[in-house]
Amino acid sequence: MNATIPLPMMAIPSPINEIVDQLGANDLPYTIPIHPNLVHFTIGLFAIGIAFDFAGAFYPLEKRVFRFLALPVTRTGFHDVGWYNVLACSVITFFTVAAGFFEMLLAVPLPGIHSVIGQNAIDTMLWHAIGGVALLLIIVAMTIWRGYLRFVWRKDLGRQVTWLYLACGAVILLVMGIHGSLGAWLASEFGVHITADQLLAAGADLKEALP
Amino acid sequence: MLELLPPLNDKNLPWLDVIHPIIVHFVIAMALITVVFDLFGVITRKRNLFEVSFWNLVVATVSIFVAIIFGQIEAGLASPYGAARDILNYHSTIGWSLAGVLGLFTGCRYVVRQKDPTRLPAGFLVIDGVLATLVFCQVYLGDMLVWVYGLHTVPVVDAIRSGAVS
Repeated sequence: MNATIPLPMMAIPSPINEIVDQLGANDLPYTIPIHPNLVHFTIGLFAIGIAFDFAGAFYPLEKRVFRFLALPVTRTGFHDVGWYNVLACSVITFFTVAAGFFEMLLAVPLPGIHSVIGQNAIDTMLWHAIGGVALLLIIVAMTIWRGYLRFVWRKDLGRQVTWLYLACGAVILLVMGIHGSLGAWLASEFGVHITADQLLAAGADLKEALP
Repeated sequence: MLELLPPLNDKNLPWLDVIHPIIVHFVIAMALITVVFDLFGVITRKRNLFEVSFWNLVVATVSIFVAIIFGQIEAGLASPYGAARDILNYHSTIGWSLAGVLGLFTGCRYVVRQKDPTRLPAGFLVIDGVLATLVFCQVYLGDMLVWVYGLHTVPVVDAIRSGAVS
């Protein structure tokens, strides 16, 4: 029953070592990670898309305020933002997840650290990875749902979205917030792909290595 | 008097994580998607896309002021070292300028939209180009501060506090 004896991981060096001469101090073949930049779009577009559908849903309450501000506003305009932003979010999030997986394969988190919720590096990475794929599927499902609401089920109605859609959107944003925090800790606590953190861990003097 | 200020954590922050990079999601995504929707609107002649980009621009403009408030607080607590000092200065200068540019641009859009929301004068595509360029430069500088110099990350704050980095 050899399978029950745990094999020390150190016996098998990480495959990253085979390409280490092509990587910089941040363990990437380039200076700035791509995933965190695409995340701006995933989060921004989804959040503002849902927010504008809320604005469209509560339009009867708001229209006096807009009249007072002399700001011409249409309910369709708000729902247009809700639809197009979520659609754009769906498209770009495929690239967000793809870049995330590429950069996670090359991630070398600092050892012996626990995040504020007590997770170690590999747990944080695995949860962030599974959560990322799940969120991609959820975002695409929400976009398809939103499309049916817009073009089929509620195309003749003033309020283009159901309350259930808005509630789901709000819950997903909450999940996205937690999910994003895991990603933020991978950088700020575990030092993944941060040149200065990786140099410090390697014992380099930042005054010389990063003047 | 210093004891009246909240204590700072291991990222040299009075709160759990940096807030500025969260707020800038809304500036970066909304400003750049405005440019994309403007272009799509012109190419596909879908006039309602101009309304979508207008509202995204409004969100970007409101967000940038919130981003600057948190950016200034967190920059003040960042203790930049080496070349990060210059980068932070450029990032601050472009940040404040971008607030002006976005405010002005949104104001112009508002005036044009009052007359006819389905029309986008060609000049706005030029301003779109300027806006996108500024945002790209600003994001690059901000990325350098986080991903190269690691400001507000635990190991760098540790090194700064121990005097290993200055």
